[in-house]
Amino acid sequence: VKLAFVVQRYGADIAGGSELHCRELAQRLAPRHQIAVLTSCARDYVSWENEYPSGDTSDGAVRVIRFAVARPRRLNEFRALSEEVFDGEAPRPHQEEWFRENGPQVPGLLDHLREHGRGYDAVLFWTFRYYPSFFGVPLVRDRAVLLPTAEDDPAVHLEIAAEFFNLPAAYLFLTPEEQALVSARAGRTLQPSAVIGTGLEPAGPPPDRQLLRALGIPDDYILYLGRVDRNKGCDTLLEYFQEYAPASRALPLVLAGPVKLQVPAHDRIRALGYVSDQLRAALLAHARLLVVPSPYESLGIALLEAWNHGVPALVNARCDVLREQVRRANGGLHYRSFNEFCEALDYLGSHPDESRALGAQGLQFVEREYRWTTVLPRIEGLLRSLPTGQASAAAPAI
Amino acid sequence: LAADVSVDSVMAELHERVRGRLRERLLSHGASREFEDPALFAEVERILQTATSTGDAQVLLLPELLGDRETWRLQTALRWQSHRSSGAASIILFIKRRLLMPILRWLYEYSRDNFERQRRVNDVLFACVQELAIENARLRRDLQSLTDNHR
Repeated sequence: VKLAFVVQRYGADIAGGSELHCRELAQRLAPRHQIAVLTSCARDYVSWENEYPSGDTSDGAVRVIRFAVARPRRLNEFRALSEEVFDGEAPRPHQEEWFRENGPQVPGLLDHLREHGRGYDAVLFWTFRYYPSFFGVPLVRDRAVLLPTAEDDPAVHLEIAAEFFNLPAAYLFLTPEEQALVSARAGRTLQPSAVIGTGLEPAGPPPDRQLLRALGIPDDYILYLGRVDRNKGCDTLLEYFQEYAPASRALPLVLAGPVKLQVPAHDRIRALGYVSDQLRAALLAHARLLVVPSPYESLGIALLEAWNHGVPALVNARCDVLREQVRRANGGLHYRSFNEFCEALDYLGSHPDESRALGAQGLQFVEREYRWTTVLPRIEGLLRSLPTGQASAAAPAI
Repeated sequence: LAADVSVDSVMAELHERVRGRLRERLLSHGASREFEDPALFAEVERILQTATSTGDAQVLLLPELLGDRETWRLQTALRWQSHRSSGAASIILFIKRRLLMPILRWLYEYSRDNFERQRRVNDVLFACVQELAIENARLRRDLQSLTDNHR
């Protein structure tokens, strides 16, 4: 089948969640399908400055076509527009303008879809909130497959987004909660669709602790993995932890990821900043538990990675996706308030057998739901259900 | 390893402990004596929890009854406008947006964040009132039905 993957950024050095998801799927589907990634020349998701050369390249067996960003993001205009549209009741043209300003503005990509879109059996679009998806889906809606990667944030509640969610021919969701959220916004059950999540390779034997000891990280610790940012709930996590730690024999909290807020000086809080893949794997393998404080997540990849290592999790229950993932997996606990946070940490600290059992159950969940051998057939099944995909599958290979 | 551990069972146990401590704390600060009954406290908490987890202002009745939203709803975004003629207005708007706003942005963002919080609290209060009104209407109906049967 001939597939186009439309995504805002693409490359081995791009760390965004949906971009990684897109690249993983492209690489894994490439042996069986003809895949072209349509993307921008941007590397930075804030400015969208052109950094890669435009034109045709390849990434292994995947063809990559890059289109120049016509205009970097105008941050002041974007901020003012965001304030207006998220305040509610902004007129429709202003809401549309928000998607344009959010970028990356790649008119060449839209021209490509206009001219060649019908040459693909299906066009998969990652992330509803960016220009390429928002303005690209209507051009090829009879073969558009949307992966919204939607979170319950203000953008998903825009009136214009509700209309947009009705346009694609099919949908791939990361979790049942995302499926429910987008369907509720669209006002109907969205079909055909599949909940695919993402795929993980088995973690393999745990890396040596020596790497951690060299950095002075103790044998027992609570791990936070990802950007240390207010949007990820880290300000509340740090506040809770500082209040919790003196009144208990709290394990130290290790923060692994780029730091975007002021981390308080505290003898039991350690911020490592950006960590290498090797250190990341070692941190995950030896953590007592992973804490995920984010109020907005569409999948929670760090959570799946922790379970892949048999590590239990403590998640923010205000995020439906995280709470329900934990409940489905029986892989950890959740908290909604400071008191619940303390109670859950006390429980996990004082019930080592139960804590390990929760981690093991998380691993079983990953084995059941998130191995590539499970995920890829779900995608293939959905693609086969598209009229355009069926036509191509029946036709002789070119 | 422990046998199968159910997250829901553990969470129910933790919630019970948190609720117990919260009830004691409220009582020690002079909360209503009604809270001495743990079952009643749990029921009150359940009702309020349902209301606070609603999250979506579009499912609330009270805003519809309050009338024109412009007259009561908190506006958290700054509207750039001037009542002067178009030439003077564009100069004033330029001064406001390009000169004053960069200087005052910290104050604006502080205020906006607080207005956002207030708006969320308003929505939660609307939801609580709605939940209590539903409970009240249901009880009235049950009471009416019992009264009718008694007659």
